Amino acid sequence: MNGPQIYFTIPVLGGIPITETIVNTWILIAFITTVCIFLTRGMKIIPTGRRQQIAEKLVTMLYNLVEEVMGKKYIKFAPYIGALFTISILGSLSSLTGMRPITADLSTTLGWALVTFVMVQVNNIRAHGVGGWLKSFTQPVVMTPLNIISEIANPISMSFRHFGNIAAGMVITSLIYTALASLSSFVLQIVPSVFIQSIPIFQAGLPAILSIYFDLFTSFLQAYIFCMLTMVFVQSAGE
Amino acid sequence: MGEYLSFVDINTWELIFTWVNLLILFLLMKKFLFKPVRAILDKREEEVRKMYDDAEAAKTDAAALEAQYSEKLAGAQQEAREIVEAARRRAAEQSGEIVSEARNKAADLLQKANVQIESERKDAVNEIKSELSSIAVDIAGKVIERDINEKDHEKLIQEFIDGIGEAS
Repeated sequence: MNGPQIYFTIPVLGGIPITETIVNTWILIAFITTVCIFLTRGMKIIPTGRRQQIAEKLVTMLYNLVEEVMGKKYIKFAPYIGALFTISILGSLSSLTGMRPITADLSTTLGWALVTFVMVQVNNIRAHGVGGWLKSFTQPVVMTPLNIISEIANPISMSFRHFGNIAAGMVITSLIYTALASLSSFVLQIVPSVFIQSIPIFQAGLPAILSIYFDLFTSFLQAYIFCMLTMVFVQSAGE
Repeated sequence: MGEYLSFVDINTWELIFTWVNLLILFLLMKKFLFKPVRAILDKREEEVRKMYDDAEAAKTDAAALEAQYSEKLAGAQQEAREIVEAARRRAAEQSGEIVSEARNKAADLLQKANVQIESERKDAVNEIKSELSSIAVDIAGKVIERDINEKDHEKLIQEFIDGIGEAS
């Protein structure tokens, strides 16, 4: 199993690799932006179109969720959470179109988790001052090393959870495809035709059902968990 | 081609691209989705609040107007009552005046009539008396056909007249 393909390398600063993940992210950003523009075009105070209703529903749901989880004080975070959720869920669901999911790349999920980590620390410092922030690691004193480790463990666990789920889904899906292809050729040995033997008939059907779990369910769940954890961590850092 | 990153790998450039991409997506979504939708929602809320405020103001105005009108109405009713009352009083006064005037007039007329009647009666009585006296003289003269002396004559007449006067 390979990581993302390197399409080409920009030969500056020791070579910048433009990988599948990066290109897929750009495609998703273009897609999301197009959808946003499409949904919000020609909005009126008295809504007339279904597009506007969908846009309003999505935004309202997001703001309600953020307000519910983080409180009114942190409502400014809603756009970031919305962007993160959108790119996360579409980045995973893009596997349905045959694209390599961007969340099956540890660099992506670790990047997001580090943003959350920085947000948490900044919010903690903003709420308690630098002294209070440092002091929060020494409560109680004997637990200081553990507190620091657990703080550092947060982004690692978040990124690996998201990456692991999607990547594992990808691995399992390809394993199943391979296994079903073998099964097909094994069963079709009874047919004396090389062409027919090469048709992997068992690949139709079963992967679709598994895909409901590994792609749809996991994609949604991981995006939700990631955003939830971000909200809860940032919010509790400001307590 | 055919070059791959390893399956579990942390690539610094990819990390940087992830942050830049996330920032770009955040800004794009904010510009094209969150801001316009929030603006519309806020505007709608503002409009609804304004509508409610307007309705509230209209309600207050209506209540004030109603109070004003009912006050005016009460005033008008009071005024009407006063006018009617005054008219009734004036009418009563006038009618009293008229009646008393009429009564006075009638009394005057009665008085005058009485006086006239009295004087006419007196006139009539005097007339009758004088007539009677001449008749009496005539009759007496004719009946008696004799000369009674002037004295007796006068006396008789006087007695006669007096008798009539008493009878009348």
